[in-house]
Amino acid sequence: MFSYHLRLALKSLRRTPVVAALMIGAIALGVGVCITTLTVYRLMSGNPIEHRNDVLYSVTLDSWDPAQPWDDRRPELPPSELTYTDAKALLESGIPVRQVAMRKAAVVVEGDPATRAKPLLVEARTTTKDFFAMFDVPFRYGAGWDRTADDGAQHVVVLSDETNEKIFGGEDSVGRTVRLNDSEYKVVGVLKQWAPTPKFYDLNNGAFNEVEDIFIPFSIGIAEQLQLSGNSNCWGNQASNSFEDFLNSNCVWIQYWVELADRGQADAYQGFIDNYVREQKQLGRFQRPLNNHLRHPDEWLKLNRVVENDNRVLVGLSFMFLAVCLLNMIGLLLAKFLGAAPLIGLRRALGATRGTIFRQHLVEVGVIGVGGGLLGIGLAALGLLGVRDLYENYDQLTRIDLSMGLTALGIAIASGVLAGLYPTWRVCRVQPATYLKTQ
Amino acid sequence: MEFRPILSAMLRNKTGVFLVGLQIALTLAVVANAAFIIMQRVEKIHRPPGIDSDNLIVVQSYGFGSAYDHRAAVREDLDTLRAMPGVVAATSINALPMSNGGRQSNYGVVPDPDKAQTNANTYDVDEAGVAALGVKLAAGRAFTQQEVQYNPVATNSDFVPSVIITRDVEREMFGDEPGLGKTIYDGLGQSAVVVGVIENMLGAWVSFDKPSHVMLLPRVANGPTVRYAVRAEPGRRDALIAEIEKKLSESNLHRAITWVRPHTYYVERSYRADSRMVAFLGVIVALMVSVTALGIVGLASFHVNQRTKQIGTRRAVGARRIDIIRYFMVENWLLTTAGVTAGSLLAFAFGFWLSAEYSLPRLQPAYVVAGVVALWILGQLAVFVPARRAAAIPPAIATRTV
Repeated sequence: MFSYHLRLALKSLRRTPVVAALMIGAIALGVGVCITTLTVYRLMSGNPIEHRNDVLYSVTLDSWDPAQPWDDRRPELPPSELTYTDAKALLESGIPVRQVAMRKAAVVVEGDPATRAKPLLVEARTTTKDFFAMFDVPFRYGAGWDRTADDGAQHVVVLSDETNEKIFGGEDSVGRTVRLNDSEYKVVGVLKQWAPTPKFYDLNNGAFNEVEDIFIPFSIGIAEQLQLSGNSNCWGNQASNSFEDFLNSNCVWIQYWVELADRGQADAYQGFIDNYVREQKQLGRFQRPLNNHLRHPDEWLKLNRVVENDNRVLVGLSFMFLAVCLLNMIGLLLAKFLGAAPLIGLRRALGATRGTIFRQHLVEVGVIGVGGGLLGIGLAALGLLGVRDLYENYDQLTRIDLSMGLTALGIAIASGVLAGLYPTWRVCRVQPATYLKTQ
Repeated sequence: MEFRPILSAMLRNKTGVFLVGLQIALTLAVVANAAFIIMQRVEKIHRPPGIDSDNLIVVQSYGFGSAYDHRAAVREDLDTLRAMPGVVAATSINALPMSNGGRQSNYGVVPDPDKAQTNANTYDVDEAGVAALGVKLAAGRAFTQQEVQYNPVATNSDFVPSVIITRDVEREMFGDEPGLGKTIYDGLGQSAVVVGVIENMLGAWVSFDKPSHVMLLPRVANGPTVRYAVRAEPGRRDALIAEIEKKLSESNLHRAITWVRPHTYYVERSYRADSRMVAFLGVIVALMVSVTALGIVGLASFHVNQRTKQIGTRRAVGARRIDIIRYFMVENWLLTTAGVTAGSLLAFAFGFWLSAEYSLPRLQPAYVVAGVVALWILGQLAVFVPARRAAAIPPAIATRTV
């Protein structure tokens, strides 16, 4: 029965090729535009660490200016980063399963003097050792470093896949050395391709920036006074005349995350940071009300408004455009179906039930939906290719995967059928007698 | 013109008319709001930057190792740059204007930290800063070589003897009085004299609500990362970029020249989110208008087919071609008018929602009016083709069938 309906549907569409093309075109355009904006939106609003969402927490303490909140527009928020003093104190806690203090720095990779290769400026993440295990970072060769490397500011480095490609041509470089800022570092690990989008672990320095080129122990950044290349914010007025002064200042510049196994541990840790702040209050620091938070990655992404408003507006407008396309299609279908009313009248008179007529027309709108959907995916791919130049580091954002393709097809068929329901219902109510009389 | 028969004929196809009317309404709501957003973004992108961005080259140098002497390296680099033919002026600078990265601080007119309320984006430049950036002095002078400070400790909190401020900073700090010669204070109560006022200069963040709150400080930017702003003679920029890259890379092995770029690279990047919005919205508007026009053509064609007999009869009893065309034009005008009436309400409601939800500015009525006029014209153009086809129906049709 289905193949019969399908044959009839194709026949009917071929009878009015222009109208059929217009209808399929309208759905394709609507779906194409929606999928283009949705793809970008979905990747922007994604949570790349969803599988560890329940155990990971960003840590924020309200160490800001008693005279004014960190964010005037959202006074309830504490600063998104920690001071060095506080990060150092929190690292002493034994409660978390894992914890990480980190920041960005700029480092020069010196070329091999033999080849006179040009020195290369790279972005480094200086971090404590747990970074890799906490964030499930994939390694191609080797692994991260251990506690002793952190404690002793040992010269060890983990390279990104790309950096390893640049310096060592992609070979297993574990055990070899690179010269960073005038001293030797031993390579202990090389990452696999890794591009969490958004870059949830550091939203302060570009939520869609690329992952850093190299990773070195946090303690090196302090011992060697590496220039901070990320964001840093200070309040009040304090004289600073040395790196030491900067470390002891109220400036916030360190991202801090912890891994807590369960609810009990989370409560214990919240108690720990609250107690810490209370102690500090007695020393005259932390003069704002107690406002310390542990937030899961999903909450953290939302709070930091990673998805641009522009993007939401575009998705909304795309769906309004899809609505216009569907209205257009309903109009065309109605005209087409009712134009064939005499034929329907004849078939009904010859014994076709309303149900048969209904199913047959539904198959027809289904065909239009599938056609429009497939064409729409093609258009969306073109559209994403077209907008690729408008994004930077956004290759991750402008990619259609299987689930997006299925979504496209789903939207197309659903909207096709939805749009087809009314005209189909109308045509089923055709009274055979009306049309038979005029024959 | 006889509206009544047109109306009653339209009402015979209520659904079709309603669908196209709704389409027109939605189109107006989207197009008016989208056009409004597009215009704002275009205006923002084309704001005068205050600096000579088109002829500006920016360079970043990163020194490393114990043998690197920052002060000497900067002096040498600037000597090299200034000696190159085609270079108008060059300065060291701590960060790049309009690059989305920079430094800001609060300043006041009295030495009281609590009254340091004026937020300004500060740039460390030397005596050539004004000339190199190409900013226009409205009053006062550029810095002198003697004023330029240097403290090798990168985290120092020294201030400077003199500053140059933009008009916007002058207005906020001194109201209508001229700022030239007045003293300002930083958060630590250290003072500086305003020696120059520049017309305009956009700071680091193009989407900041006070983009032109900028202050120039006479200071050699601290290392080890330093940038240079090099202003080229018109037409020499691109050739100079290659020359600068070559010359500086070879000159000092204790540092890396990370990049040499036209300043417009950063301008384009900073406005990319806005250009993106313009592009996206432009496409949506264009597609929406086309689809709606097709909808109007489709409905009118359907009506023409349905009314072939009536049209033939009208022609047979004396209606001229122009009457038939006019009939469809009026019908479309009625339909569009109904659509845009509903659409105007929808547009304002949508605009209100956008401004409330996404803190965008409130939709200006002019855009709705323009949208209404545009849709009227669009409707008339779209209906013209099927109307002409209707007018071509010969009167004989009426006699041929019952």
